[in-house]
Amino acid sequence: MRRLKPDCAVIGSGPAGLAAALAAWDAGLKKVVLIERDLELGGILPQCIHDGFGSIVFKETLTGPEYAQRFIDRLAGTGVEVLLDTMVLDLGADRKISAVSAAHGVVEIEPKSVVLAMGCRERTRHNVLIPGFRPAGVITAGLAQRWINIEGLMPGRRVVVLGSGDIGMIMARRFCLEGAEVEGVYELMDHPGGLTRNRVQCLDNFDIPLHLSHTVTFIHGRKRVMGVSVAAVDEAMKPVAQTERFIPCDTLMLSVGLIPENELSRKAGVELDEITGGPVVDDTMHTSVPGIFACGNVVNVYDLVDYVTQTAETAGRGAAAWVQAGGPEPQPRIRVLPGRNVSYVVPQYVTSLEREVNFYFRVEHPEKAVIARVSAGEEVLARKKAKMVRPPEMVRARAKPREFAAGAEVSEIIVDVVGADTAIEGAGDE
Amino acid sequence: MAVKWDIGQPCTWYDVQTELPAAAEVVVIGGGVIGSAIARELTKYTPDVVILEKENDVADGTSKANNAMVHSGMGEEFGTLKQRLNVKGNAMYDDFVRGLNVEFWRNGMLVLFAPRSLGAEITANMTPEQVHEALAVNIPGLLLQDGVKKGIPGQRLVEREELFQLEPYVNPDTFVAVLDPTYGIVNPYKLTIALAENAVMNGARVVLNTLVTDVLVEKGSVSAVVTNRGTVKARYVVNAAGLFADEVARMVGDDSFKIHPRKGATLLFDKDLVGGLVRHSIAMARIPPDPHTKGGGAFPTVDGNIQFGATATEVDDKYDTSITAEEIERMLDRYPYMVPGFPTSAVISAFTGVRAPTGEEDFVIGPVEGAAGFVNAAGMQSPALASSPAIAEMVVEILHEMGVSSERREGWSGERPVCPIFSRMSSKDRESLIKGDERWGHVVCRCETVTEAEVANAIHGIIPATTMDAIKRRTRVGMGRCQGGFCGPRVAAILARELSIPVTAVTKDGEGSELFCCDTKVLLTEMV
Repeated sequence: MRRLKPDCAVIGSGPAGLAAALAAWDAGLKKVVLIERDLELGGILPQCIHDGFGSIVFKETLTGPEYAQRFIDRLAGTGVEVLLDTMVLDLGADRKISAVSAAHGVVEIEPKSVVLAMGCRERTRHNVLIPGFRPAGVITAGLAQRWINIEGLMPGRRVVVLGSGDIGMIMARRFCLEGAEVEGVYELMDHPGGLTRNRVQCLDNFDIPLHLSHTVTFIHGRKRVMGVSVAAVDEAMKPVAQTERFIPCDTLMLSVGLIPENELSRKAGVELDEITGGPVVDDTMHTSVPGIFACGNVVNVYDLVDYVTQTAETAGRGAAAWVQAGGPEPQPRIRVLPGRNVSYVVPQYVTSLEREVNFYFRVEHPEKAVIARVSAGEEVLARKKAKMVRPPEMVRARAKPREFAAGAEVSEIIVDVVGADTAIEGAGDE
Repeated sequence: MAVKWDIGQPCTWYDVQTELPAAAEVVVIGGGVIGSAIARELTKYTPDVVILEKENDVADGTSKANNAMVHSGMGEEFGTLKQRLNVKGNAMYDDFVRGLNVEFWRNGMLVLFAPRSLGAEITANMTPEQVHEALAVNIPGLLLQDGVKKGIPGQRLVEREELFQLEPYVNPDTFVAVLDPTYGIVNPYKLTIALAENAVMNGARVVLNTLVTDVLVEKGSVSAVVTNRGTVKARYVVNAAGLFADEVARMVGDDSFKIHPRKGATLLFDKDLVGGLVRHSIAMARIPPDPHTKGGGAFPTVDGNIQFGATATEVDDKYDTSITAEEIERMLDRYPYMVPGFPTSAVISAFTGVRAPTGEEDFVIGPVEGAAGFVNAAGMQSPALASSPAIAEMVVEILHEMGVSSERREGWSGERPVCPIFSRMSSKDRESLIKGDERWGHVVCRCETVTEAEVANAIHGIIPATTMDAIKRRTRVGMGRCQGGFCGPRVAAILARELSIPVTAVTKDGEGSELFCCDTKVLLTEMV
């Protein structure tokens, strides 16, 4: 049995947890504990051996393990205590953590603040209700990535991919590089689910066909996948029977979305946003439960690891400031609401406009030549031009610190996307 | 008292023979819940019992994929064997599971009488008052009368006010409900494993991966069972072959029944998101009955999930455990009506089992003319799980008449110790177990909080788990919302290590279901 009473306990040591623990330490907290269920730090990063990480944070592109190592190296120079191979089983609204590890047995932690950094998990075939048998050979892309890149095992030799999320496209390429055959990628929507650069680099460059508006209608094979049926879908996303065809394969790999991992948040009574699936947070990444902060993919599934890191640094600093202020009562907050062509915005609340706030949001539908705006009444807090916005690609708008008393009282902040022409006519243009 | 559990010990306590014995007094064909219950009941009188199972584990067919329901007999036609054995079996259940360490919960069944209980073709010519009269008074009354006739104890009418106290989330338009408090839920595969393991503890043997190809009859009596792995001499043979019982019966010249497979698909929901939404098993009266379901409804499981199902679809293939888009649609269309607002998007799994009914839709239990010593226990479908204690007793009585000793053996014990379940332990017990064996401190399945110790224990159990699915049935690894995404690599590695096989030889459910084709880089060398 071990008992700990740190200033801050960070749950999860992926990119979010690493950055949050470092930020909390850098902000002056003396006792920071980083809890990781796996045997090593980094979360999912060690298995992401492709590049493309860090273009914003480090202004260079790194692989996943390299990106993680930057933080792990920095961690070594701090007094952050790392608990590896430790599974958190419970979290209370009083922030008490109950964990277990082989080395320490039961670990009871009573931290002054908590940062949730558990990341997300993959949607499975059952979450999307794919009909058929339940043979071996139906795997999610992230699991395939672990099997191949960490365990050195090939899940199959002829692969059909359902869903064009980023990991799905990256793993389609990975299968090709390993000598397996990727028959094609099938996407339910009429647009790819991941970043354009991944479509080009992972599919187009490897001659892997992408079939938009298609789905898998049946999984064949009782013991091992023998093949799948695929069909085109109509506007209502229903399969069109006449277009159904059988594809022999031994593996169906799924990249059909990620779900923020909030079982612990729920146990602690943290308010969750129905759209993001993650905690409702303010600009310091404070959740609805005092002293519990959240960051990274537990809050919302980000498309870039750099954004995860940025939210984590905000959360780590936020937790430190809250502890240093003696755990103040919640302050009045300004609601942030999605406006035209915006499906959701994180954070959902802002406590102060006197410091910089990053707003992350997704659009509802693709749109060309737009301006993304963050406004409070007539006042535009941030604006950003974009040649093209698409639902899979998150948009970030940064609101600079507003000078004290420069503006009127703000009751509501709206984030919207408007055509470039409309915006020019609006107030507050640059 | 501190909890202690030595992993691997059961294997050495009891003699598990994986080799086919040359002879046995009784051979039970089939390691489902029926075969296992019969074998265990037999060991009260003779230890010389062998279960032959064609799959890699017991409970690997219909017994693993059903609604876990211990029915009362309410749904069975009066006077049938099914109805009688169901009522009797239900009453026996508490004693049946005692000592086996299997979850069994008499949660009760509520049959709702709601507007959609009567088909539109019936209500077309009725006034709203007549509909109300029929659904609030007359039809529930008939159901209760029928229950009395069948000898089902405790059934009663539940008026709206009480109903919504018992179950706040059921359809608010419900007129009344009938409560049957004897209904229960059990973990069907854990029950089967427990019965088979307890049989082994009392002297029986369970031989897996053994397909019966013939039953030999000499001078009007059974003499031996031929398998793909050799022949076992036997004086008595019990046919508990489930879906394949007709094929086994034909081996001794009995072609009096034919099994026509009828599959049932079920949707399973995340316990964290739906747990506790209904506590009773909830069904709805439907007149006329829907031909595509056998009742069905929203049922809790002993593990805290809720399931929708099951459908009923006649199929040609006894191995057709698929779920179709139509079945999914039908369930999502039908069952949320009973519990409006049910979060149907919280599906974490879907599974299908295949029932083994005969044309007469009744159990076929009894001897076969011209093959003395042979007993059928066939035609098994719902409520066979509920009837299993009574079926086992009936079959063993028949065997007594045939000559199996009816003298109780000394030292028989119905106690079957079970590995502690980490997720349900106190911190103190966890601490004490981890001190003794650090594998208790390795949580390999985060959704269901299962430790490496429990996985290793399953692999070294009385009936060893040698596949991913067999471990899953015993420990719940991979049964949670991530469906093995996290624990898969960990469990595969433990399995390979404990069985001393390469990970590439690990299977999901036996030969042909390997998880991998090869190591990385191998395909590249093939291309050269």
